[in-house]
Amino acid sequence: MSQPSDTLSGPVIPPSKGVNWDPVVRVTHWVVALSVVLNGLIVEEESQLHNWIGYAVLAMLALRVLWGIVGTEEARFSSFPPSLLKAKAYAQGMLHGEHPAQRSHNPIGSLMVYAMWGSLAVVIGTGIGMEVFDIYEMEDIHEVAANLVLVLAAAHVCGVVLESRLSGVNLIRNMTIRTRSRGPE
Amino acid sequence: MTEADPRSNTHNRKPGAPSRRAGLLAALVAVQAVCAVFFVVDVTADFTWDGADVHTAFEAVIAVALVLGVIFGALEIRRTLDRIRRAETALSIASGALAEVIEAYFDRWGLTAAEANVALLAIKGFEVAEIAGLRGASASTVRVQLAKVYAKAGVTSRTQLLSVFIEDLMGEDLIGK
Ligand code: HEM
Ligand code: HEM
Repeated sequence: MSQPSDTLSGPVIPPSKGVNWDPVVRVTHWVVALSVVLNGLIVEEESQLHNWIGYAVLAMLALRVLWGIVGTEEARFSSFPPSLLKAKAYAQGMLHGEHPAQRSHNPIGSLMVYAMWGSLAVVIGTGIGMEVFDIYEMEDIHEVAANLVLVLAAAHVCGVVLESRLSGVNLIRNMTIRTRSRGPE
Repeated sequence: MTEADPRSNTHNRKPGAPSRRAGLLAALVAVQAVCAVFFVVDVTADFTWDGADVHTAFEAVIAVALVLGVIFGALEIRRTLDRIRRAETALSIASGALAEVIEAYFDRWGLTAAEANVALLAIKGFEVAEIAGLRGASASTVRVQLAKVYAKAGVTSRTQLLSVFIEDLMGEDLIGK
């Protein structure tokens, strides 16, 4: 990274600090994350509480889908389209220590996000199938998809921690603490 | 830039009231979304098992109202956030932090380090040949990098690239977002 800026008294471009996620993304994320842990690992499956938590997840997903259409630029689906090609290119870049600044989820994260949303939709759809329409044949799909969500979420957390380490961008802070100051720390 | 840079004053700005308002709105809309889902599911279940009656119809009206409330709530959050971001941009520029604004744009466009550097030199008015000389690269490399910068920024010329930042200086959208 040679920076002729010094000789031109121009600003040196500091490393990216990542996407500062908006409150809708943060609220929906943490409600979903908490609910998945509760419903998948802790709460009794046949309890009414299990259904209520599941409906809360449905609400968060619906809100997030709406937000993916009318929301901030970085939250829109068009900012992180799923693409195997881009994900592959990004992974190869990572092997060479490259971490291009992102305007939304990085291409690998994007695939993971859609995978989690997709399997959550299956879990909720089959849950409602059992509860509302009495189609209890769906229980197996519900269980498999729920376990898939848990596995994906575990991989997701590992990915987030790894990417934060490698790129030096604190992704977790950008998803938790409310607003980051804009300048260098 | 050095530590003595006066613009560092602006770095410790607190999030402030509008940003709290957006957070509060988001929480409210989330609660509203949960209520909306409860009602929609309830109406669907009632309708499936009991058919349409006055009670179900009444609940359906509430469900629709709640869903509309969520949609308008989301749009309102979007407006609030846009306002905050415009104000932040205007303030950064007012405090002489154009560099920060440019950097934020480069960030948003996802420029690589090399592209960002070329773009910066272009904004400063250097010709392709000069940029190539400064960077120790060939002119054709620089031209390709500039083309990539334009593509990522959604502009077709250097003048348009400049106008992106000028637009912020004037606090109005000249080119559509
Ligand atoms: C984040 C969402 C959810 C997760 C992670 C989740 C997870 C699970 C898991 C792990 C089981 C155990 C499966 C088994 O051992 O047979 C289960 C069962 C079940 N879930 Fe969910 N679930 C979710 C949402 C829902 C929703 C939205 C509903 C319905 C409204 C629902 C209704 C049920 C029912 C009826 C059972 C079967 C209980 C039984 O008869 O054994 N779930 N769920
Ligand atoms: C346990 C269940 C979890 C699920 C189902 C989950 C799911 C998701 C989803 C769907 C997104 C995309 C957010 C959006 O665009 O709206 C996301 C992003 C994110 N999650 Fe999670 N998450 C979980 C747990 C966690 C935990 C425990 C952490 C923190 C250690 C975490 C950190 C993040 C971060 C930092 C992002 C943003 C990544 C980026 O910058 O691209 N997640 N997660």
